Formats: sequence, C-alpha cells, structure tokens
Amino acid sequence: MLDDYLKANLASWDEVTSVHVASELYDVDGFKAGRNSLSSIEQAELGPLVGEGTSLLHLQCHFGLDTLSWARQGAIATGMDFSGEAIAQARSLAEELGLSQRATFLQSDLYHLPDVLEDEFDVVFTSWGALIWLADLERWAQIIARYLKPGGIFYIAEFHPNAFLLADDSTPESLRIGYPYFQYGVPQRFDESADYADPDARTQNTVTFEWNHGLGEIIDPLLRNGLRLDFLHEFPYTIAGLPFPFLEVGEDGLQRVKGRDDEVALSFSLKMTKEG
Amino acid sequence: MSDESTGVAGPGRAEAPAAPDPIPAEARAANLKLWNAWSRIHEHAPGYNTAGFLSGETSLKPVELEELGPFVHEGTTLLHLQCHFGLDTLSWARLGADVVGLDLSDVAVALARRLAGEAGLSARAEFICSDLYDADAHLGDRLFDVVFVNWGAIEWLPDLERWAAIVARHLRPGGTFYMAEIHPFARSLDDAAPEGVLRIAYRYFPAPDEPDIDAVEGSYADPGADTEGLVAYGWSHSFAEILGSLTGGGLRIDHLHEFPYAPAPFWDWMVEDADRLWWLLDEEGGYRRDLPFSCSIRATKPVT
Repeated sequence: MLDDYLKANLASWDEVTSVHVASELYDVDGFKAGRNSLSSIEQAELGPLVGEGTSLLHLQCHFGLDTLSWARQGAIATGMDFSGEAIAQARSLAEELGLSQRATFLQSDLYHLPDVLEDEFDVVFTSWGALIWLADLERWAQIIARYLKPGGIFYIAEFHPNAFLLADDSTPESLRIGYPYFQYGVPQRFDESADYADPDARTQNTVTFEWNHGLGEIIDPLLRNGLRLDFLHEFPYTIAGLPFPFLEVGEDGLQRVKGRDDEVALSFSLKMTKEG
Repeated sequence: MSDESTGVAGPGRAEAPAAPDPIPAEARAANLKLWNAWSRIHEHAPGYNTAGFLSGETSLKPVELEELGPFVHEGTTLLHLQCHFGLDTLSWARLGADVVGLDLSDVAVALARRLAGEAGLSARAEFICSDLYDADAHLGDRLFDVVFVNWGAIEWLPDLERWAAIVARHLRPGGTFYMAEIHPFARSLDDAAPEGVLRIAYRYFPAPDEPDIDAVEGSYADPGADTEGLVAYGWSHSFAEILGSLTGGGLRIDHLHEFPYAPAPFWDWMVEDADRLWWLLDEEGGYRRDLPFSCSIRATKPVT
C-alpha cells in the first residue's frame, strides 16, 4: 500500500514540478536575479547558523530554490527529493547559477536516503509542506539523527498541524474542524486538479495521499533519537502556499486568517541539537 | 560599596523587590472565590469520586501512572503545584511518595488535610495554602525529586516563565517535571457549540494581558452545581510558550505526548469511559481518536 501511495504522490510531484518552475509563487526569474527564496522565519532563525562552509542537508528539497539559497549564503548544500523531475530542474538551476560546486542534488525516497548518501552534516534542514508526504516520522527522525554530526542542528519551518485541521468551507468567523490531527499512519486521499502554486494549472495526476502529524508526533521521535529541543516557535501566519479561502496574503507576503490575525497557529519552527 | 555596573547585590544589601504579581487583583479575588466554592462542591462531585479514593482507589489517570509512575518510589519527594483538594497528591503518597501539595484555596487545603488524615497519609503529605506565584515564600529552598502539575492548572496562570522558574527552582538536579494537561488546541474550541459542531472560538496564542473572563456555569466535575455569580479568569497558552518556558527555566524536554481523550467533558455530548476519560463519538458510536484533547510533557533538570 505504501508503495501505491508513494507512486501516486511521485506522479503528482513529477508533473507539477514544471508548473512550479513557471509559477509566480516560486518566481524563478527573481530567484535567478538574486532573490532569497527562504522565508523571513528561516532567515531569522537558521540564517545566523549557516555561514561559509557550513555543510547542510536539505530533505525533500523539491526543485532546490531553498537549497540554492543556503548555498548562496556559503553553505555546502546537499538537496534530496524523491522526484526525478525536481532533481533535474535543481541541477540545471545550480549549473546556470554557477553553484554546482556548492550544491549537489540526489534523487531518493526519504526513507532510502542511506542507500545513496553517507556523510554527516552540520545542519539538516527541511521546510514547508514536507511532512504531509511522510507516513512514518519515527523513521524520518532516525534519518535526521543519522545525518547530523554530534552537536549538529536540525531545523524545520513548516505548516502547523492545527492549520491542516480546518474544514475547506470554513470562514474566518466560523473556523470548523474538518480533518484529523492524528492519522495513525492512515493517509487522507485528495483528488484536486488545482495546484497550490498555480490554481489555473490543470494536471493529470490529481490523486495524492497525505498525512497530518501532531506536534508530539513530530517532536517526540526526534527526542527519542538523541536530539535536544532548543526551541519550538509557533506563528499565526505562514508563507503563501496554503490554498484555503479563509486565509489572505498580506503586503508582507505572509498568509493570515482574515480578521483573526493573531489567534490561530498556521506555522511552526523547531530547532534541535544532536547531543554529543 | 555598591557596584552599579554589574548590578550584583553585595552582602547586607537589601534584596531586589519582588516582581509585581502577574495576576491582577480582581482576577485573583474572583478565582479564589471560585475555587473555594468549587472545593466545597467537588468533595462530593461525581467527577472526583472522593469516596472511591477513601476506599483505596487511585484518583490518578492511567496516563499519569504509566508515565510518571516509574519515577515515583518509596520516599520520592514530590511537589504538586495547584493541587486543588489533594486527591491526586494523596494518590502519589499512597504509592510511597513524600508529598507537598500547594493550592490557592484555603477551603481546598483544609479539605486536603482532612482527607490525608482520613486516609492515614498525614505523615507523608503536607499541604500549603498559597498562590502559585507566592510558592517560593513557603517552599524556601526546598528541593524535590518530582514536580507534578495536572489537568486544568496552567490556564489559571498568566505568566508561564515565572511558573517554570518556580518549577526549576524546586527540582533537584536530575529531578523530573511531569505535567498532564488539557491540550492547548482543544482549549481553543467552542465549548458552547451545539452538539457535533467543532469550531474554533478562542485564541490559541497567549495573551497575558487579556484573560478570558467567563461567568461560571456549574463545574467540570458537577455540571449541575449552583455557581451563581461566580466568574473565572483564565489565560490561553500555546505549546511554544509552555515548552519555551520550561527550556528557558533550564529544563531539558524528554517527551511531548498528545492524546485523543479529555480529562473532563468539554461538552455534554462527550462520553466517559471506565478509566474516567472523556471522548467524542464517531458516527458508529465508537471513540473518535482523530483530535487532541490532552497532552503530557516530561522534562528533566540537568545535573550540571
């Protein structure tokens, strides 16, 4: 079954990669011209810890804009993603931007990364819409611990599990619960032809399988695998990318619940350090 | 000679004045009145089962026994903050702990002392009447193996940094903090919604200067009780704030667990199981396990 979910999700991501490369949301032209693709949250919280020569592993990197942004900042970055289309785009961008020496990209399913990558890193990084594609965060945490040097840092900036609970027909005045917080490994099946980065795009591989994960389910396996919690931060806003009608994008490019902009948790970040 | 440049107090120098009480006077008075009233009601409330406790049953929930039990042995010293009338404190004493319970309500503390006597546990149970933020004045420099907090405690506190500092100050190095609580997200749900409607009514994020001020209707442990004229002042807390307060106090987080059941009914359409846990029902009448209603956190004070 898991293989079937993976196949469906992979077909979707392979197909939407070219849509995303051409989309306004990802703004590849702006990125080529020097725009930092990282959000203000990541820049503020992880930015100071990434300098010249920092080795950084980016899990589930899509087509690599954020990986390359860290490389531009001096990191020796490795991006991995399960989509061959995404990895091909990432490599092509790295080449075009002269960052091939600082940014390498690997195609692999997350859980099979140890088959293709040895190394240990100063930083393991992942972000925005990565966790919903993973059924099992225990194995995810083992992978993270595996790739961190002693004293190394794990950092994630992500959509909040509370945001994924809200019903599609919610309004700012009536935010109703429509989806699970706990899924116990059982995916939600979605069939949507609209893409989050380009609502007008029409794709063929529209069925995906996704897993919401509670904060405990995210943090606990990392603690069990020898990482120490430095901080959990939660934000009542998020980066543009959640296609929910009760959210609006402000002038700062961040999404909030209309009229309730400091009440609901829409994103979080987590920094942890590998003991030793 | 004082040293203004470092701000270090020298010998004989007056101690810095205590920080102002984070609880506004009207909130403190209202909550004290409420908890004294609830304490009288709760001695005989269905949600507490005091008679069962006196006959030998534990009042602790399975999750507390499972997760903190392994840290409590004969002679373990345990501080229970915001202990209400002490059933849970005394349940730990019955398992061998030497316990100190602290609560703001004089009615609750008097009842706790009386129940300790009736249960034959007075020798290993001490109860202190104190507002949480005044705990240091009563506890001095006493250290405990375990600091314990449970079910509906932190919502009465506006300032978790000071709370966590009290926790950390009274834990011995290597000691264990354990808290079983209402889930912060669940607390944001509309408790007045019609049956079956799950929607957000309250803020998830903390607002220390904006307490929720609610007229009290009955009690979580006795919905029909007469609480005419009583008002509750409560404060919302997020996971980030809770965990950040504990790490800021120098504790290392050991676990964060979340559970799909509640310690008390959020709505009258929740149902109670044999372990006194409360559940939403799914369409087939089974327990819904998809939403979080409680959580637990364990943390350790590092030895160095």
